[in-house]
Amino acid sequence: MEKRSRILIIDDEEVVLDSCLAVLKRANHEIAVARDGTAGLALAQEFGPDLILVDLMMPGITGFEVLEALRAADPAVVAIVITGYSTVGSAVEAMKRGAFDFLPKPFTPDELRLIVDRGLEKRRLVLETLALRKEREMVRENFAAIVSHELRSPLSAVQQNLYGLAAELGEKLDDTQRNRLERMKVRIADMLKLIETWLRAVSVPNDDIRERFAPVSLRTCIDKAVETAQPHATRKDVAITETVAEALPCVRGDEVSLTEAVVNVVNNAVKYSKTGGKVEVKAAAADGRVTISVADNGVGIAPEDLPFVFDGFFRGKTAAAETGVGLGLALARRIVESHDGAISVESQVGKGTTFVISLPVPAPDNPSPAAP
Amino acid sequence: MTQRKQLLMIDDDPDFVDGIKSILTAAKYDVDVAYNSKDGLAALEKKKYDLLLLDIMMGRGAEGVMIARKMGRDPKLREVPVLIMTGIREQIAFLFGSKALHPHFVEVDEMLEKPVEPKQLLERVEALLKAGGKKGPAKK
Repeated sequence: MEKRSRILIIDDEEVVLDSCLAVLKRANHEIAVARDGTAGLALAQEFGPDLILVDLMMPGITGFEVLEALRAADPAVVAIVITGYSTVGSAVEAMKRGAFDFLPKPFTPDELRLIVDRGLEKRRLVLETLALRKEREMVRENFAAIVSHELRSPLSAVQQNLYGLAAELGEKLDDTQRNRLERMKVRIADMLKLIETWLRAVSVPNDDIRERFAPVSLRTCIDKAVETAQPHATRKDVAITETVAEALPCVRGDEVSLTEAVVNVVNNAVKYSKTGGKVEVKAAAADGRVTISVADNGVGIAPEDLPFVFDGFFRGKTAAAETGVGLGLALARRIVESHDGAISVESQVGKGTTFVISLPVPAPDNPSPAAP
Repeated sequence: MTQRKQLLMIDDDPDFVDGIKSILTAAKYDVDVAYNSKDGLAALEKKKYDLLLLDIMMGRGAEGVMIARKMGRDPKLREVPVLIMTGIREQIAFLFGSKALHPHFVEVDEMLEKPVEPKQLLERVEALLKAGGKKGPAKK
């Protein structure tokens, strides 16, 4: 059986209470009544109403105060204010403060039923949204643990045994056998790395990343990023050049995450470069911001794909020839945005692509608490 | 002195255990195994081990942490070096902060992420055995 909706009516006028009761009882709702604001608030606590009808003009505490206290206790509660014609202005004010709707006195049974039905529908939607949001948060929070345990654990057990077998068999294996074993290890290592990337994409950076913020030298991040991408670039005969302005100011952030963001962008540039291409990494400061640009002269991105390159799991048309899942740039964006920065892209098919990361520099006249 | 070192491994994944054990056995270590924390603690009580290889996520959660903490409170077991092998390196820092799980925990950095490369495993085990040896037998 469906749960009956709970309606609380707070009004000091006996006539209004009676007519509300008469109309709403027929609709099989659970109803509670209070004759003033204080009693209404006390009753709301134990009754837990879905919807509240409250008179704005009452002796004692006003309808406004009741409204505020009710919403503080349950932000999802739907409140409808009952008001005389003379107080339509305050009804509008009440709606500005979060009331769902208002009902001018005198009202007909149909008007009451209609507004209550709409209010209850609103309540249902609000609760549903809240439940979905909560579920999404839970999935997100638990995803790391689930993936880690259900996928990562078996894979690392397999990998561990390949390590063990390779060590035990050692001399007994011929070259092709050893080669196959090595290839298996590489494949599994790739899968483990992929899972790691997924985990990072969903679980980091979160809000507590800010607690670890410290002054970060972007030169260090860029050096590390270029170093990381270098082997891949060498294999593709892509030249990476690095131009970092002297005395580049520090930004506030998490060095590991920022390095990861730059790594992902540089890796992406190398990946979509043609053999013999070049990738230019530049960093400079202007107008209170540091910008890092990563430009390649590679395949480029189709205009219709451009808006989506920072979305997770997106891979454009020109990306078809390359392997990957499309998380690197999404992760880069999340990291940059969690540092109050921005990342943008410009591209021409066949000519190349430029990514720009821009990060705010803390003002010198407003030093961070960590600074001496 | 020439006696083989006695290692205990507590991990609930038999496949992972086999993979580690084969590497350690080939390197001439004696390895006992417990597949849950209860058997693991019982084994630690019964025999003197030179090193414990410990998994973190077992049974109903981070039972490995419970074992490490229990060992830290026991004057005899406290002297046994622990090598933690886990698949949850990042979460562990989050879950337990920088608080040491075990007296050796921070000192010798004995956490490895699964899977563990044989060379790395053997190096770490050797280093821990050395560090454990220096500490000498448990004080009376």
